[in-house]
Amino acid sequence: MDKGLVTVIGMSIAYAASFLGMGLAWWSWRRRR
Amino acid sequence: MIEFSALDWIWSLAFLLLMVGGAFFFYRLARRSESDFFLAGRSLPWWLPASSVFSTHTATDTPMWVTGVIYAHGLRGLWYTFFTAWTAIGAFVSARIFRRSLAYTQAEWQSLRFGGLGAELLRGWLAGWQFFMNMFILGWVGMAMGKVCSLAFGWPIWAGLVLPSAITAIYTLAAGYWGVVMGDFLQGIVAVFAIVLVSLVAIYAAGGPAEITARIAEMGQSWRLDPFAFTGWSEGDFPALWWLTMLVIAVVGGFGMGTSIDWYVEAQRIQSSRSVRDASYGLWAGGLVTLVRNAFWGASILAFFVLLPDIQNPADYELGWFRLGFELLPAGLVGVFFGAILAIHLSTISSHLNLGALYFTRDLYQRYLHPEAGERRLVWVGRAATLVLLVGSFFYGLMMEEITRWLIFALWLMMAGIWLPNILQVVWWRFNAWGYLSSWIANLGVSWLVVWILPAFGILPPLADHQQFWLLMGLGAVVFLPMTLLTRPEPMDHLVRYYVMTRPLGWWRPVHQEAVRRGLIAEDPRPAEQSPRPLIRRKWSADEAQAWSREDWIAILLSPLVYGCVLFGLVRLLLLQSSGAWLLLAAVAGSMAIYWVIDPKLRAVSVEYERQQSVYATALARQMKWEADG
Repeated sequence: MDKGLVTVIGMSIAYAASFLGMGLAWWSWRRRR
Repeated sequence: MIEFSALDWIWSLAFLLLMVGGAFFFYRLARRSESDFFLAGRSLPWWLPASSVFSTHTATDTPMWVTGVIYAHGLRGLWYTFFTAWTAIGAFVSARIFRRSLAYTQAEWQSLRFGGLGAELLRGWLAGWQFFMNMFILGWVGMAMGKVCSLAFGWPIWAGLVLPSAITAIYTLAAGYWGVVMGDFLQGIVAVFAIVLVSLVAIYAAGGPAEITARIAEMGQSWRLDPFAFTGWSEGDFPALWWLTMLVIAVVGGFGMGTSIDWYVEAQRIQSSRSVRDASYGLWAGGLVTLVRNAFWGASILAFFVLLPDIQNPADYELGWFRLGFELLPAGLVGVFFGAILAIHLSTISSHLNLGALYFTRDLYQRYLHPEAGERRLVWVGRAATLVLLVGSFFYGLMMEEITRWLIFALWLMMAGIWLPNILQVVWWRFNAWGYLSSWIANLGVSWLVVWILPAFGILPPLADHQQFWLLMGLGAVVFLPMTLLTRPEPMDHLVRYYVMTRPLGWWRPVHQEAVRRGLIAEDPRPAEQSPRPLIRRKWSADEAQAWSREDWIAILLSPLVYGCVLFGLVRLLLLQSSGAWLLLAAVAGSMAIYWVIDPKLRAVSVEYERQQSVYATALARQMKWEADG
């Protein structure tokens, strides 16, 4: 597979976990405010 | 495959029992509280975090990539390892600021530096990122161990991936960070012994230092002995612009937090130190020993090149250091060598298991799911998270090998887009949560463009690493600077609280003035008895020591020079070049000067801060339970 494509796919996977964490923070913030 | 004698097995098992048993011994301390399970109760003298910094960053894959760059590039390849040098300045800047924040994690620090919803989103973002990252690193390092066990014993890859990591989990689950750091200390001693031993044996096997340099010259490859053998400004495989870029990333990065992927691990070591002074020395010494390690590897890989100069396949020559140990050491010592390999593996695995569990427990579970959780419950959540990370890393290592290879590169790019924001968040009061968050998200889109989409359509030529770094940094700034300036600054109350607690370096004047106006800090303290100010002040009052001064800048400027002198001085000394001795002498003199200049100030900072620490810790506990404004 193309090196650039694999790189950005790998990077996007890494970001997916961050979005999940951010979603949890947002949910918790709304619940407590 | 390697022939193991009975004595080799005995040594290997003895080392394993020593390391695992020594670490497991501390389980009673770890179970007391979250602070013990993840920070050893913030009680460690500087040499324990220092050994942990070194041990954690000596992983099973580290000798492979260090061997790879030195076999390919000669001594100039050592510059690839100089990224470690962020600790030179970091020890005297970011370590001090972070330790004073009392944040368990970098994610928690975000919520102290920034306020409101933006800070919480950042905290969740970084916690998710770090939970994933630690699982990824565990899988990656585990795969490296799988390859080593395959080379040594002919085991299937999965066995080397699973077994040593599972053994590590025993003491990490039981003894938490206490086990990690005590294990790291024992493992560090074993690792240093093996690295020095194998290097000296390799140099001897290649005919000695003089023979190594003579043979390299005979081959017409004397450039391998020159760390500055550039191939031009921007062309070739070692351009000067790459070198300059690396220096900027590494050295200037010490002013920020997160400029190196290693920061997140070191942040835990910084916070586990018993004082600000111990945090600084721990990080500085850990980084220094890592460079000493690289110098020994540098000399031994040159010896390996002389012995076997014609290996073309990187996958083959990257195993050079392991081959030196397994093939040159006599029966008995091979077992010691394998014990050392286990040591470097266990130390890295245990650190990342505990660190990933920390982010899950502190930042996701406690902060967002169950703020009222008691200490024992938090310890058990930490253990459960450790187990999830372990199992996840097995799947990651086995299923994602191809992706992980490129993910390493992707992570480098990742750091490019957020390198500058990581510094700005520390040194510039006006930088806010939305600016920082936008830099992370923008970096994803910009990287897609620069790395894949534009080159795929022929709009942008494929760029060298250093060119990509500057381009990604510039494009990121186009997003995060307007975002920062178009959104409101963080609330002044929040900034003042953070400023008084951490006393950051940089452009903080409006916040400083507000803190003075509120009577929280003194304005420009200067005792009458010390006027005029001595060139180097060695007597400090508590108030004076809080402010950044020329003594700090002397340490900041000298420290990277000392690091460079140690790295290249030692490798040259091992090759019996006289310049090595002079460089090492300069390093010793520089280290003594740093200590003489900065130690009185660090002591004063530490004493004053520890007087107030319990008040800060109480406030932090209230904030964790959402009882105080974040």
